[in-house]
Amino acid sequence: MKYAFYPGCVSKGGCPELFPSSVKVADKLNIEIEEMKDVACTGAGVLPQYLSDPINARTLAKAEKLGLPMMTICSTCQGVLAQANYRLTSDPEYRAKINKEYLAEEGLEYKGTTDVKHLLWVLFEDYGIDRLKSLIRRPLTGLKVSPFYGCFLRRPPEAITPTKESNARKSYLDQIIGIVGAELADISGKGKCCGFPILSANEENSLAMVAKHTGESKEKGADFMVTPCPLCHLNLDGNQSRAEAQTGQEINLPILHLPQFVGLALGFDPEEMNLKRHIVSTKTVETKVEMLT
Amino acid sequence: MEVTFKVYRKDPEKDGKPGRSNYTVEVPDGATVLEALLKIRDEMDSSLAFRCSCLRGHCGDCMVRVNGSSRLTCTAKVSAYTQKGPEISLDPLRNVPVIKDLVFDWDAFMWNKIRATKPWLDASETAADGESIIPDAPLQDLRKVMSCYNCGMCDEGCSVLPVDFDFLGPAALTKAYRFVFDPKEKDHKERMKVLEGPKGVWDCVHCYEADEHCPRGIEPTKRIIAIRDEAFRAGITNEKVARHHQSFAASVKESGWLDEGRLAVESEGLTNISGLMKLLPTAAKAMVRGKAPIPYMHSKRPGAEQIKRIFEKGEAEKK
Repeated sequence: MKYAFYPGCVSKGGCPELFPSSVKVADKLNIEIEEMKDVACTGAGVLPQYLSDPINARTLAKAEKLGLPMMTICSTCQGVLAQANYRLTSDPEYRAKINKEYLAEEGLEYKGTTDVKHLLWVLFEDYGIDRLKSLIRRPLTGLKVSPFYGCFLRRPPEAITPTKESNARKSYLDQIIGIVGAELADISGKGKCCGFPILSANEENSLAMVAKHTGESKEKGADFMVTPCPLCHLNLDGNQSRAEAQTGQEINLPILHLPQFVGLALGFDPEEMNLKRHIVSTKTVETKVEMLT
Repeated sequence: MEVTFKVYRKDPEKDGKPGRSNYTVEVPDGATVLEALLKIRDEMDSSLAFRCSCLRGHCGDCMVRVNGSSRLTCTAKVSAYTQKGPEISLDPLRNVPVIKDLVFDWDAFMWNKIRATKPWLDASETAADGESIIPDAPLQDLRKVMSCYNCGMCDEGCSVLPVDFDFLGPAALTKAYRFVFDPKEKDHKERMKVLEGPKGVWDCVHCYEADEHCPRGIEPTKRIIAIRDEAFRAGITNEKVARHHQSFAASVKESGWLDEGRLAVESEGLTNISGLMKLLPTAAKAMVRGKAPIPYMHSKRPGAEQIKRIFEKGEAEKK
């Protein structure tokens, strides 16, 4: 089981705790990864399609050349790559145009065969949940956890849930909470936007979204929230104190990345999963996790 | 089958306080929620207020929340909502001013916002014979948008409207798309200024909820993204958004990947002292926690030259 690993900018930038914990978890699970180092940022939904599609076609072509499926650890990277891949594979004329005008000069051609999967999907669809369960060394019993998917990991359907079976992707994060032995603290906005895309354009609305989701999770008694999207993490964790100040609420909810969450259940210590790097203190989580060992 | 409808009630002529009435009615197996509502009004409570018009899923007038999800009552089957028990809750849409019971203020919800986008064509000059003949190809895409029957389901699904009711919303912005991309539109600079202004396209989080909610497959989110891409091409007129997008594009173009430190500072603006000060507490915390490397570095990716070449070609092609 080997993947062309696309870590995304944020896992090495604003959330530097994510990249090393993902690598450790992949290693523990025996998922072989080859990092794609010479490819571009996806554009994250900020760059217009006429710029992001050609640079993403290049990334997809490079993975195809390696003969490997791609694995992402970011809902936004996953969404943008999957949307570009959908356009490039469903419209051969468009693909031919991109190949000719942008990729040919570098001697690349995208034939349309690269499969792109988020780590969350890999665990369910390729790795196998029974295999994962057999490796759990520290069931997270007694911890209440809210899921937060990142909207790009939910929609649009043609790129994210193209088949009837793939509809199950909308519940993978809920399921994984139970699989590692924790209790689900469900929230109504788990598939909604975290507000990060408009942090610059409309900070007030962005922070209101942070307060809404983290506040609801806290009300439901969650110990923390888990997300497969580092951009959601940047807003839900990094800007939570500003959201508290704006709304007058006290929230103080730790936010964990998916690989950190799975890693704790696999037996890694909070220190090894870099929990101390978060902006909202994870001390309460660390104490509870250490009591389980 | 016998079903109990728990219906939201509010009467401004009485105390105006929200409440709920329960009505237990016998309805045929294939009955729609609207048929049940009509039966309740005709046989049990003539004071119950709700809207309906075409009765066949075409006008969007009868939209309410059925067991919490927005649905057209004229096409929603009662049997689809009684699997967990013979009770159905009916509520007006979220975040809209309620006039009475299930009747809400359509003007505030949608029409005023559509009006704000100047939903008429600033047509180019007509030909000498009085006709403007345009090719069919560009119109095929617009016909899809024109098939919108203004049901407002996209606005109901929107992630932004629950935190900011003044956001123009996907329904109005999709209506605007129809004019921005109409080949007859002479000049859409003025329209784009409105769309790029406060509460416009840049406030959209592109979460694709609107596309999932649209019963006609019009894909409002993709229409909003197309307007934004057009703004990017023509030059973004919203200053703050322009700074953010230019900085984002420049760092990918120059280094192959995103320089988040640079983006945070340049988005605020290098001369915007109060904006930059606002970043300090989080930046300081990030440094203490080892989130931000000291000294701050951002190096070029291998392959950056190829990425730059693709970028420049894409930009030149769209000029």
